[in-house]
Amino acid sequence: MLWKRQIPIMIVSGIGFATLLGWFIDQPTFKSFVDDDATQWFDILAAFAIFLGGLNLFKLQMQKILRKKKGWQYSLFAIGGLIFALLAGFVIKGNPEAAWGSHVTAKGTLFKWMFNYMVAPMQATMFALLAFYVASASYRAFRIRNFEATLLLSSGIIIMIGRVPLGSYISSWFILYLLVLIGGIVVNSFFKNKQYTAIFVGAGIILVSVAGNSMGWPLDEPGIFYLPYLQEWIYRYPNSAGSRSIMIGIGLGIFGTSIRYILGIERSYIGE
Amino acid sequence: MDILGAWIAVFLTLAIFSFLYKDNPFYKIAEHLFVGISAGYWMSFNFWTQIQPNLFGRLWPSEHYSDSSLWYGIYDMLGFVARPIFPAGGIDMGHDLHMIYLFPMVLGIMMLLSIYKPLNWMARWGIAYTVGMAAGLRAYGILNSNVLGQVKNTIIPVIGTDLPFFSLTGDSYFNNLIILVGTVTGLLYFYFSREQTGNFGKVTKVGIYFLMISFGASFGFAVMGRISLLIGRLLDLIKYSGSEFHHASIWVLVAMIVLLGYSAYQERESSS
Amino acid sequence: MMNYLIEMILKLAKVDRRWIFLIIGLVVLIPLMYPLSLPVRAGKDSQQVYDFVESLEPNSKILLSVEYGPSTKPEIHPMVTSLLRHLFGLKRGHKVYVTCLWADGQFMAEEALDEVAVNEYGLTYGEDFVLLGFRPGAEAVVKGIVSDIRKVFTIDAKGTKLAEIPMMEGVNRFEDFDFLFSGSAGYPGTTEWVLFASDPTGVPMSTGTTSIIVNEMMPYVLGGQIQGILAGMPGAAEYEKLIGVKGIGTSGMDAQSAAHFVIVIFIFLGNLGYFIERKRSKKHQGY
Repeated sequence: MLWKRQIPIMIVSGIGFATLLGWFIDQPTFKSFVDDDATQWFDILAAFAIFLGGLNLFKLQMQKILRKKKGWQYSLFAIGGLIFALLAGFVIKGNPEAAWGSHVTAKGTLFKWMFNYMVAPMQATMFALLAFYVASASYRAFRIRNFEATLLLSSGIIIMIGRVPLGSYISSWFILYLLVLIGGIVVNSFFKNKQYTAIFVGAGIILVSVAGNSMGWPLDEPGIFYLPYLQEWIYRYPNSAGSRSIMIGIGLGIFGTSIRYILGIERSYIGE
Repeated sequence: MDILGAWIAVFLTLAIFSFLYKDNPFYKIAEHLFVGISAGYWMSFNFWTQIQPNLFGRLWPSEHYSDSSLWYGIYDMLGFVARPIFPAGGIDMGHDLHMIYLFPMVLGIMMLLSIYKPLNWMARWGIAYTVGMAAGLRAYGILNSNVLGQVKNTIIPVIGTDLPFFSLTGDSYFNNLIILVGTVTGLLYFYFSREQTGNFGKVTKVGIYFLMISFGASFGFAVMGRISLLIGRLLDLIKYSGSEFHHASIWVLVAMIVLLGYSAYQERESSS
Repeated sequence: MMNYLIEMILKLAKVDRRWIFLIIGLVVLIPLMYPLSLPVRAGKDSQQVYDFVESLEPNSKILLSVEYGPSTKPEIHPMVTSLLRHLFGLKRGHKVYVTCLWADGQFMAEEALDEVAVNEYGLTYGEDFVLLGFRPGAEAVVKGIVSDIRKVFTIDAKGTKLAEIPMMEGVNRFEDFDFLFSGSAGYPGTTEWVLFASDPTGVPMSTGTTSIIVNEMMPYVLGGQIQGILAGMPGAAEYEKLIGVKGIGTSGMDAQSAAHFVIVIFIFLGNLGYFIERKRSKKHQGY
């Protein structure tokens, strides 16, 4: 139990306190250890953790092949890929002029070739798939069910259109006409009277047309309805206010959790 | 090799995109290859950029190399087995000898040994170190910049200055008020220790509206980001459809469409 | 006629999603092959980055941190190359020191430096620019750079000792730099630089990030902790416009515009179908 429980907790508390106090203690040896060596150890352990991950992958995929589980044939590709990458990393340099160590970034090596034509395209494509799913979700899932959802979608749409060059071509007057039509829908849903709706929409269209005519139909006036200006205002002010409150809330949460780890109250890293 | 690489990159890209049609063997092969190659890539990269230069380079620096030393005798034995990792005469990375780095080496080896089930607990020491280190580092930084810094930046003038009442693109009373009200009401929404009813409920409702605007903006940016990733992939596919790469994109696309179409036709025949 | 239209909209609302995938694919692909060249307008945040770089004193030391990989290259690579063009194009003797918190970032940085510093400006490695390289450890690396850069980097990415690199003379810690630019796609990245380097030391920084994480950075931008931000591919296009050199950022904006427009139409059609369906079910219930 000492090895499996108490010592890890003591390590977390000891290192956590040392790192935290490192901000406040100016003693050279202590500061040098906390700022330099302790952080180097962190880097080294992170590298070992990646190694552990790779070994685990090998173990799981081999088990799948040996036990002939469903889809075991594809695991051959996973193991093959792992072995190929390790060969490129440790055995076959491909460029005799590159030294071992810098061969992982040097031009002309098998490792670099593998990165350029296998790792990079696959990584990028996996992420690019999300574009299709976001479009599909927009069509099938985003619904204006209540006022909050309306706010969310409206601000999303304004940002999406206002941020791209296309948004600069949409006149403020088009937005005003759109608002008059939306106003008409709202009036109709409240009063359920076609006459009131017609009067509202008619009056709105006339007012907007007269105003536009008198101003000479400028593309970006009135500024509040010009999408690029409007999206910038939304992005810098109400959106930032919301993001700031989320950031402060999360910051307080992270601080609290860090203190819990350092004091040994939170022990999820040992499975408790 | 570049042309072979281009064809491989195109095959892997289109194989992953084929998932949009349906799950199929091309996608499964690419997925498993991705997992295996990525693991091998990361293992190799981290070994050569961290473990070899920073750990071994500090335990066996070339500056302190000595034929007669027992410690360097162990190094020479390791060099006999893996000369690229342990070059003759010690590792020349500009480091001094730091025997204290035996600690991260022992913790790292314990992490690797944890792959055996009975020795699973060994990883806890290394994990405990990284958790403690991260907790101590984050606690100060998050509190300083994300909490105190943001609170300080929310204290902005709302009356009694030369600012205009409203400005779409610059500072103004109204904009400052929006930031203040939005941040405070958004934060109040996250206070769950009290029931959100009555006047408090009305205030938190305003907070929700600001948060919804923020989420909507995040949605807009998320769509923007995903489409950008797709643009990147398609630009590469367009490049590889050129004559210098023997129209790789076109041939691979046609071959996949034919094979997947034939398999869909077979499926329909067998089901009918 | 009205009923036919309503039935069409309801049918569209239930369409197989693979048709949506195909439409999005074509909508993005066609403008890339046949560009529309829609003009780009620089926003306030991109302008702020540009103005700050313009205001740097001659012979400034700039730390450029590259935190993106192949998946996010379309968004951030144009920002990094534009920034390098801007810095070197000013011909004020600025020195660029490149570090990477992401492993993939080192490859991206090499590509950008080869493209701009070597091929376009013919600059000398070690005198005008240096690639320190990638070190794992996230915030630990940032903290290490703040306290003593030579403990984190004893050699650069090519294996040369830092003591042998002329432009490393006098550069020992983060405060020896005049400006930091972080091209960041996530963790570790801009946030870590703000929390552990820029904010505590006061060295000014700007950033270019993917669109996904722009919102998280806005409080830092508004609070003055970050001097402007290049937001995603539109931000890259805006910066290209400001420096007067078009690149992938600008060429991608046509496809971006078209895709956004189509997605808004999808949202509109989806909601139209939803409201029609809801009205019908209310009528049936009432009946």
